[in-house]
Amino acid sequence: MKNILSLFLAIICIAGLCSCASLNSSPLTLAATVEIPESGIIKASVFDSLMQENKAGTFVGKSGEIRYTWIVFGSDIDEAKDRNLGIEITEAGREQITFRYLSGEDFGFFPVLSIYLNERWEAPHALVYAVTEDGNRGEEVCQAEITGSEHSILNFSPEVHTGTFTIALETEEETTQPETESTAPLEPEVPPETTAPPAPVQTQSPISDGNATGQDLYKTDPVPAGKPLPAEPEEQTVDTRKEYTCTFSIECSSIFNNLAILEPDKLDALPTNGVIFAAQTVTFYEGESVFDLLQRICRENNIHMESSWTPMYNSAYIEGIHNLYEFDCGSGSGWMYRVNSWYPNYGCSRYQLSPGDTVEWRYTCDLGADIGGANAIN
Amino acid sequence: MGYTDAFGSYHPTVNFLYFSLIFVFSMICMHPVFLMISLLSAVWYYITLRGAKAAGLILRGILPLFLITAFVNPAFSHAGQTRLCYLPTGNPLTLESIVYGCAAGMMLAAVLLWFACFSEVFTSDKFVYLFGRIIPAMSLVLSMTLRFVPRFKAQFDQVRQVQATLGRDTANGPLLKRIKNAVACFSIVVTWSMENALETADSMKSRGYGTARRTAYSIYRFTERDKTALCFLLFCGLFLLCGGISGSLYWRYFPSIRGVLIQPITIVLATVYFVFCSMPIYIDRKEVALWKKSLQSKA
Repeated sequence: MKNILSLFLAIICIAGLCSCASLNSSPLTLAATVEIPESGIIKASVFDSLMQENKAGTFVGKSGEIRYTWIVFGSDIDEAKDRNLGIEITEAGREQITFRYLSGEDFGFFPVLSIYLNERWEAPHALVYAVTEDGNRGEEVCQAEITGSEHSILNFSPEVHTGTFTIALETEEETTQPETESTAPLEPEVPPETTAPPAPVQTQSPISDGNATGQDLYKTDPVPAGKPLPAEPEEQTVDTRKEYTCTFSIECSSIFNNLAILEPDKLDALPTNGVIFAAQTVTFYEGESVFDLLQRICRENNIHMESSWTPMYNSAYIEGIHNLYEFDCGSGSGWMYRVNSWYPNYGCSRYQLSPGDTVEWRYTCDLGADIGGANAIN
Repeated sequence: MGYTDAFGSYHPTVNFLYFSLIFVFSMICMHPVFLMISLLSAVWYYITLRGAKAAGLILRGILPLFLITAFVNPAFSHAGQTRLCYLPTGNPLTLESIVYGCAAGMMLAAVLLWFACFSEVFTSDKFVYLFGRIIPAMSLVLSMTLRFVPRFKAQFDQVRQVQATLGRDTANGPLLKRIKNAVACFSIVVTWSMENALETADSMKSRGYGTARRTAYSIYRFTERDKTALCFLLFCGLFLLCGGISGSLYWRYFPSIRGVLIQPITIVLATVYFVFCSMPIYIDRKEVALWKKSLQSKA
């Protein structure tokens, strides 16, 4: 026994020396938050440590009263050099904000920029416009996702990191109306059950008060006026001969506002620009529901998705997309869907698609309050 | 007593500490290498203890359990980045969930086998010795309960034999009659056990139970070899604990399989864990060798 023990201690001594060599940190971890100084310049050594240790860094800056953050993934950085992450808010008007990058060159990677506003923007999206040299609003650059409950947060992943940009709300003309006619030339006559039928006239409060609930067979509260009624999936037949198009996207920018509470292991599943499936026009067949479309798109694009059938609500429940599951980012987190800027108050298997719909799958960290989906009635 | 293994002849503190550490590490550590070490050691030790009888339990009990766990997990868990195919439910079958199922099955099998070894080595008298002072009532009740089971079985056997001589056979005859006889036997034994409980209570009272602190006769002595073994166990436990805290045993299965595998520190920890797990096997083997040697020297 004693011989064995002494031999053992010898091994341990060697091990002690070996263990001094740092561990191979293969999984992505969260680095400490770094404050962006007034000048905006972040040293190359900071980026180098993010690269070497495979970490995701949070850079917090402030311009005037408005706070902003960059989430930088070490795996995205191509070279460690001094970069200027500062932005200067030059104008913060009502539902419009103009800012200028302090950087004179592009970063070489595309981190998510989150701007924490001091007001609430009531809109599904905001758009980022380049500002031309003469100070006018130029062309549209990209779309910014609005999150946050009391104060809105604008999240987007800019591709250019120089110059001046304006973020403003989408103008009213750009609704889905013109697209509807142009995308379904083969079959302009949409079957009555797939279009939005006029909702029944509601004489009572749309939210159940517990007494006269007005809920349907599957515990759905009355659908607000003007919104499509649920269509039971078992009554629908998919007709692949009739093709229509709609806009589809999957995004999870709300996680970038709550990185500290994200399950550490799930950092690896996070898309570095916050977008899992960028908004684009996709084809759907007659009779397909939002769930059918999601399942098909995920299969076609090799995106992981897990769902479970819930008989009580007669619909599938989306547990996780891209390995980002419910409860991964706090107890109120999970996936929600929005069609034409409205979060339906029934399951995605019961929402029949109409040509020209804009379907968005969004991740919430606060039961929908942070992505404007806390109340289906508004 | 007739110890079948030399490790069981060590002081109960050593036995108890060893098994506590084994249970904790086997249940907490999901690193595949460590699971494998734990499982293999458990199988090996159980075979050392029970001989050929062990194979029955392992093949008929543990192996199916392992297979069920490994197959059931991917049917319900669909997380993971490596998709193999789609299941009829529409959810993906992923490599990660299969691997995790195997790991969970391995853990379950290892822990069950360690518990089987524990019940073989850690007899009730050791339990009473260790916990008689800390939780006297509890350990008394436990030892009485543990004693009751084989005693009930023996009494039932006796009653059955007597009843058979009276013509109430439970082994031969029509099924209904046999059941009737068996129920009668059972009723007799239950009556006996109740009577026995009252007798026990009276007996304990007449011997003065509860008038002073209970003492228990034990033959355990903490010797030099127990001290060495205890130091070794504490050292291993501490070393592995530190290794675990430092993240050297890090292993995750979702969303992608990642972990430390061929790091020097992990290899050292695995070696320590192997030596730790196979300690009783080593002790047993050494004892057998010593016994054989002593036989030879006499001859």
